[in-house]
Amino acid sequence: MRNDYLSDLLARVRKPGRYLGTEVNSVHKSLEDIKVHLAFAFPDLYEVGMSHLGLKILYALANRLPGVYAERFFTPAADMEEILREENILLFSLESRTPMKNFDMVGFTIQYELSFSTVLNMLDLGGIPLLSEDRNGSDPLIMGGGPGVFNPEPLAPFFDFFVIGDGEEILEAIIRVYEQWKEDGREERRTFLKEISRLPGIYVPSFYEPEYSKGKFTGMKLLEKGIPEVIEKRTVYDLENSFYPDCFLVPFVEVVHDRAALELFRGCSKGCRFCQAGILYRPVRERSVGRLKELAKSIMARTGFEEISLSSLSSSDYSQIENLIDELKNEFDKKDVTFSLPSLRADAFALKQADKLQRKKSGGVTFAPEAGSERLRNVINKKVTEEDILEAANQALHSGRNHIKLYFMIGLPTETEDDLWAIVDLVKKISTIRQPGGRRKPFRITVSASTFVPKPHTPFQWEPQLSMPEIRSHQDLLRKHLRKLRGVEFSWHDPEMSYMEGVFSRGDRRLASVLKRAFLEGSRLDAWNDSFNFPLWEKVFQDEGVDPTYYTRYNPGPEDPLPWDHISTGVSKEFLISEWRKALKAEVTEDCREKGCVGCGLADCSIQAGEVKCTTTF
Amino acid sequence: MYHYLLSFSKEGDIKFISHLDLMRTFIRALRRAEMPVAYSQGFSPQPRLTFAAPLAVGLEARNEYLDLYMTEAWQNERILQALNGQFPLGLKVKAVHEVELEKSPLSSLINAALYIAILTPDPGDFSEALQNILRAEIIMKVRWDKKGEKTLDIRPFIYHLKIGDSEEGTGKLLMLLATGNKGGARPEEILELLPLPGIKARVYREALFFPDKGRLLTPEGISSEEYMER
Ligand code: SF4
Repeated sequence: MRNDYLSDLLARVRKPGRYLGTEVNSVHKSLEDIKVHLAFAFPDLYEVGMSHLGLKILYALANRLPGVYAERFFTPAADMEEILREENILLFSLESRTPMKNFDMVGFTIQYELSFSTVLNMLDLGGIPLLSEDRNGSDPLIMGGGPGVFNPEPLAPFFDFFVIGDGEEILEAIIRVYEQWKEDGREERRTFLKEISRLPGIYVPSFYEPEYSKGKFTGMKLLEKGIPEVIEKRTVYDLENSFYPDCFLVPFVEVVHDRAALELFRGCSKGCRFCQAGILYRPVRERSVGRLKELAKSIMARTGFEEISLSSLSSSDYSQIENLIDELKNEFDKKDVTFSLPSLRADAFALKQADKLQRKKSGGVTFAPEAGSERLRNVINKKVTEEDILEAANQALHSGRNHIKLYFMIGLPTETEDDLWAIVDLVKKISTIRQPGGRRKPFRITVSASTFVPKPHTPFQWEPQLSMPEIRSHQDLLRKHLRKLRGVEFSWHDPEMSYMEGVFSRGDRRLASVLKRAFLEGSRLDAWNDSFNFPLWEKVFQDEGVDPTYYTRYNPGPEDPLPWDHISTGVSKEFLISEWRKALKAEVTEDCREKGCVGCGLADCSIQAGEVKCTTTF
Repeated sequence: MYHYLLSFSKEGDIKFISHLDLMRTFIRALRRAEMPVAYSQGFSPQPRLTFAAPLAVGLEARNEYLDLYMTEAWQNERILQALNGQFPLGLKVKAVHEVELEKSPLSSLINAALYIAILTPDPGDFSEALQNILRAEIIMKVRWDKKGEKTLDIRPFIYHLKIGDSEEGTGKLLMLLATGNKGGARPEEILELLPLPGIKARVYREALFFPDKGRLLTPEGISSEEYMER
C-alpha cells in the first residue's frame, strides 16, 4: 500500500502536489480484491495529462467494473526522474504507489508524435523491457490507444497491441479476454495476443511484418492465420447513452485545463483537409441537450469546478448550441459557474454564442482562419470568407474584447508567397478596425503560425512537408512584416519540432530503432522546449543510417501502398483521393451535415441516414 | 452576512500542496458542499474566505485557521460535517466558531507560530546550543527571493526555543517563532543552526497565536506559555 518512503521523496522535488494521487474523485481500492490491475499511462507531465478528457473517461469507466482497479501514471519531471534512477526506484502509480511492472496491463494514451520517446522512458522507469519480444510471463501487457495510434508503425515493436478508435467501446471486452487468460494460468503471451486479435479494433503488430523493396514500403505481410488484413476502428455510435463521468478528478495543482469538460459531440463534418481528427472521429455523434444539462449538474455537484468547457472539435457547430446555452444559463445562473466555448469558428454566430456564455466580455477570442487567402482556404476546405473573419473580429472588439488570437498554418499544399502576403494583409485589415466614430481602441492581436504536418488518413497524406530552410524563410517573411503592424505579436512553432513531428507522423516501422536509440541517449519530453534536443536526434538518425527527410518529403502516388493502410478509419481511400484532387483545384466540399452526404465511405453513419439533423446556424 | 472561524488540520502527504492549491481545494469543497459562501464585491467577485498565515509546502499543521463569510447562518456542526464530507485525505475541519461580523478576520492578527520538530534518532541534550541562540543578539541568515539574495537578522523573530518531552528514541524541539507579514523565522532556519548531524527532523506547525495584552493566545484562548509547557 502507500508507503512513507515514497512520501519522503516528495520533499525533494519541485511541485510535489502532482504526485499525491489522493485528489478528489481519485479511486482507492484494496489491492487484495483486485482481479485485473490496470494502469493508464499518459506520456507527458501531470499538468498536461490531467487535462486530457479520454483518460478521465477511461479511468472512471474501468473503475466501475467489479474486480478491476485502474490507476494513473504520468511521466515524472526531470528532478523526480533523477531521484528514481539514482535510487533505483521503479516508476510508481499515483494511487497505490505500485511499480508499473506489477500491473496486469498498461495502456498508453498516444496523443502526439513528440511523446513517443517519453513512452519508452516510462516503460524503462517502470521496469518493463522496451521491446514486446523481450517481455515475458510476469511483465504487464502494453497497449496503446488514442489518435496517435492510427499510424502505430513507429511504435510497433514496443507495444503488445493497439486499440484503434473509441476506447470506451472495447475496454471491457479487453479486460474479459485478459481475465480468462489469467485464469488459464497466464502462460504464453502469444495465446493472449491471438485471442485479443479477434476483437474488432485490435491490432497486434507482431503478427504483421512490413515489407520493403528498394527502400520503399510495399505492403504488410500477415504472419498469423485468421488475423484481419485491415483493422477497422471502433466507434461509439450511441454517444447519448454511452458512459460519461461526472466524477472528474479534481487536481490539487493547477493543470493546463483546470476545469471539467462537457463533451457535446464527437466528430466533425466540416471536412478541413489537413485535419486528422476530422477523419478519425467520423461520424458526428451528438448528446442531447437534456443529457448534457444533467451531466453538467452532476459534474458540478461532484467536482466543484468553477468552469466547465463545452468541448468538442468545433463546439459552436453543435446542432442545438443556442438551446443548450440558454438551458445552461438558466440552470446555473446563480451558481457562479463559467462555461467556455474553446473551439470557435471564425464567424459572428459562434462569437455570439461565446458572448452569451460569458459574464464579462473582456479578454481574448481565438479564430483559426488557417490560411490567409481565399484560394488557399478553398484548398484546405476551410469554408470561411474574409468577410466572415472581419465581421467576427469587428464584433469581438465592439463587444468589449481587447485581444484577438489568430491561428494560421504555413506550408500548406499549393502555398505560394502570395498566400503568406495574404496573411499579412488580413492581419493588417484587422489591426485597423476602428470603433464607431473612428476612434481606435487599443487591442492586441496575436498571430501564431504553425507548420503544416501531413497526417495519415487525411487527403493530404500524399503531400510533402516544407523543408526546414523553407519553414524558416516563411516564418521570416511573416515576422518581418507582421512586426511592423501596431499591436501585433507574432509567434511561431519551433521548425525543428515540426520537422520531427513530420518525420514520425508518416513514419514506418523502420523508425522504431531510431526511437529506441534516441531514448537510450537521453531523448524525452520532446514537445517541451527545455528538454527537446534536436542535435541528439540528428546524430541518432545518422548513426542508425536512417534519412529523416525521406519521411517529411515522402510523396507517394495514390496507388502506392502506405505504411498505415492496414488501419482503417472507415473513410475510403477513394474519398481521400478525390478530396486531394479537389484540393489541388481549390474546389470545396460541402459540410455533409448541412448539405447532405458527400460519400466519405463510412459504412454506418447516422447523418447519412438522416438521424442527426443540423439546425441552420446562420 | 455571517462570520465563522474555522480551525483545521493538514496532515500527511497533503502537506505537499501549496497555499494556493489549498485555497483552491477549500473553495471547491465549499462548492461541492453547496455552502452559501459570500462573495466579494467588484469586477471579479471572489468567495470570501481568508486564511491565517500561509503554510510552507511540506509542513504539516495541527491547528490552522480561516475566516469564512456566508450569506446564511448555518450551525457550527453542520458546517463542520459538510466540509469534512468533501475534503480530500489529510484535510480536516476541527472546530467552527461563530464570530461577530464586525470582528476583523483573524488572519490579519496572527503573528506567531509554534513549530514542533520530532527528531530521530534521539539527539540527546542540545540545550546548550539552544541557549546560545537565545543569548545571541543578531543571527544573520541568507534568503533568496525573486530579486536574488538578501541577508537579514532573524533573531527578533525567535521568541522561544525549548526541548520537549519526547517518546522513546526520539527528540522533540519546540520553536515559537514570529510569522506573518511583519516578518518571521522558518523552522528549518533554526534547525540549521543546531548541531544535529545525521538527525532526521519531521516538522509540523502545532499552533498559531495572536497578541493579546502582552501575551500570545490561540484563537481558543490558550496561551503560548501553556503550549510550551505541555
Ligand atoms: S458518410 Fe456521408 S454523411 Fe456520414 S460522415 Fe461521411 S460524408 Fe458525412
